[in-house]
Amino acid sequence: MPDLSPNDAMPDAKLGLALREALAMPHDGAFVTRLRALVRQQPARGWDEVLAGWFWQGVLAASLAAVLGAVALRVLAVPATPTMNEESVAVQLLDAERPGTDVLMTAMAGIR
Amino acid sequence: MTGVDDSDLAIRAAEGDPVAFGELVARHAPMARRVAHAVLENEQDADDAAQDGFLSAWQAIGRYDAKRAFRPWLMQIVVNAARDLRRRRKVRTTEPLEFVAATSRDDPAREAGALDLGEQLKAALATLPERQRLAVVLFDAEGYPQSEIAKMLGIPEGTVKSDVFHGRRALRKVLESVKEEWDA
Repeated sequence: MPDLSPNDAMPDAKLGLALREALAMPHDGAFVTRLRALVRQQPARGWDEVLAGWFWQGVLAASLAAVLGAVALRVLAVPATPTMNEESVAVQLLDAERPGTDVLMTAMAGIR
Repeated sequence: MTGVDDSDLAIRAAEGDPVAFGELVARHAPMARRVAHAVLENEQDADDAAQDGFLSAWQAIGRYDAKRAFRPWLMQIVVNAARDLRRRRKVRTTEPLEFVAATSRDDPAREAGALDLGEQLKAALATLPERQRLAVVLFDAEGYPQSEIAKMLGIPEGTVKSDVFHGRRALRKVLESVKEEWDA
């Protein structure tokens, strides 16, 4: 066995051989024969069956995405701030010629 | 079917060819059984786990990426099957049947004197934590690179290095009693 080092990146051939012999199990042939018979009895799943296995998860994900999309559209549709074409209160107050300024002032005083 | 590489056989198996998968079983059964044996410390359980692993691989062969090597893909499934069985066995039983030499886990080196090299190695392995045991077996016995072992066990490569180092050190300690045989 070579000297050990935490950075030793080479397998230890002697130890490896001894481990393989210690862990080897008898009757590989019988094991393989039994397993081949089991494999023939259980056909592998094709891609269509694998996809079918994901069907309900797919439906759930699509529904969730649709709900989230609808919520996002609703949030975006409601403006958070006044739009550009709405005049601010200050502009309306400055415009003395504009009828209804006194009504506006009264309303604001009422709020306070 | 000699001369056909693993990936080609796996592609044929993914198309539903049980003979191709049977060839892969024949090629990799000895290694899968050894690795399962290292995890479970019992031949019967190791066979059950190796069988579960192969059957899981057969069921999942449609998801195998032929650009990757087949052997590590298969071995990861076998290791998971063995670990899963070990967890289930732990709930049901308390003591492994076969690694009798490991009954004296407090001082395996003392017990090891009466046993041959293989039994001593198994007794020594039984004293290691499962992850260290797997790291040493996969690296030294089965020849997997440490980066591949890290992916298989889901741990950093540095941890694999450390596990191999500590595992080897523990094995050497136990095997000092048969140094002449070892060095021969």
